[in-house]
Amino acid sequence: MSVTFRVQIYFFLICLSALKGQSRYLEDNDITQDGMFSILNSEIKRGLSERLLYRRPLRCIDMLTMEGQFTFTADHPQLHCAVFFIGEPQEIISIEYSSVNIDCNGGDFIKAFDGWIMKGETFPSSLDHPLPIYERYIDYCETGRLRQAVRSSQNVAMLFFRIHTPGSGFTVTIKKISNPFPCNVISQTPEGSFTMIIPHQHRNCSFSIIYPVEIKISELTLGHFNDLQVKKPVTGCGRAGDFVELLGGSGVDPSKMFPVADLCYSFNGPAEMKIGCDNTVVRMVSSGRFVNRVVFEYRLLERPELEKQKGNSVEDFCYSTD
Amino acid sequence: MKLYLLVSASVLLVAFLPRHECRAIESLGAVHSGPDDQSDLYQQSLPILVRLGEEYFIRLGSANQKAPPSTLNSSPGASSATINRALQVQLTQRLLQGNVGSVNRFLSSYGDQKEDAVEKGKRSEEPPISLDLTFHLLREVLEMARAEQLAQQAHSNRRMMEIIGK
Repeated sequence: MSVTFRVQIYFFLICLSALKGQSRYLEDNDITQDGMFSILNSEIKRGLSERLLYRRPLRCIDMLTMEGQFTFTADHPQLHCAVFFIGEPQEIISIEYSSVNIDCNGGDFIKAFDGWIMKGETFPSSLDHPLPIYERYIDYCETGRLRQAVRSSQNVAMLFFRIHTPGSGFTVTIKKISNPFPCNVISQTPEGSFTMIIPHQHRNCSFSIIYPVEIKISELTLGHFNDLQVKKPVTGCGRAGDFVELLGGSGVDPSKMFPVADLCYSFNGPAEMKIGCDNTVVRMVSSGRFVNRVVFEYRLLERPELEKQKGNSVEDFCYSTD
Repeated sequence: MKLYLLVSASVLLVAFLPRHECRAIESLGAVHSGPDDQSDLYQQSLPILVRLGEEYFIRLGSANQKAPPSTLNSSPGASSATINRALQVQLTQRLLQGNVGSVNRFLSSYGDQKEDAVEKGKRSEEPPISLDLTFHLLREVLEMARAEQLAQQAHSNRRMMEIIGK
């Protein structure tokens, strides 16, 4: 039977089943008699989403991991407030302002920051982010009326605000948007696994774990060509070519952390490394010529393991700053 | 004929003269926007901080202010601050002097370059707004937020089942 004839037969069969109305059976569900119908009712659907929208007051210093609506009202002058946002690795954060009642001319401000900034150090680092640091702040007082919603480039963001007048405040609605190829990520948990893929992009990506962990790399593919290209070996490490580096440090900025290991060649099979620093980063440097991929797991180092680590001179730099 | 030739030659010369004044402005801009200036100023600026059990402060001072950090007289017997206490603490700090400057986008190209250089210079003098938090406190706040998320997810699932069940 020729391919064309087979395609025609399949098309005919699909049309036949559609015309017979096989799809109608999906709507008639024995489990819930009204069930899907009542769910599909637009009024109930609207009520559902309204009722399920999480709401709570926003604190001056706060951390938010979920979607919802958060309202800050100053009961006294609040001059130094900051909120962290963090999502899953495959999400980016959307911040939408509403009911903003602040006095921009009186010194109040609300500034969203694309990333996290702590002790002057940023994640992603200024080397890994397309914008210079001052352009990563978006001031509501300057752009608010034109730009009611702000979106982050990765799974973390921050909000800084200052309100002088009691009774003033604002509301933010936080939404998470799917990001199919996450680049810079901060992990919410000390344990987990992740696959970082940089497909033909000239960029550097970091996965940060703000705990001392053991990293187990199960697969590293560098310099993978498609079938049409001739495979060439990756030029080695030493800051040339594509590679993966493991970093450890006591800040959030990967560019200020210490390289613990460089991985320059593709391999399969677990390679384990314990990094007893406050922050552990797996960073991939990609030239854009290849599709690079690293698959790894990580788990928290327990106290006995950390005690053992302290005796190891390789990671003394992590403890010297404490 | 000769007059026409002279006029057209002079027009061409004026049109293709090199503009040395633009290069001077570019080099001036480069001086103000060097990343090394920013990192040096970060190192020089003293954090204005208050220590309350856990290390927790917001750095909002400008590079020119040399005042020593202020500290609260917390009681010696104070236990390491719980998260709730840290969140309720009142910080006393000096205000950031001047906001990050707004960019005037409506000047001519010459004015734009010079104005941007001046704005970049002003911004590079002010350290960026940053929150100074230890990793220990950051992890505790993160774990609290995750616990809140799990509780909310359970509550949401329960409500969804109630609604669907009606």
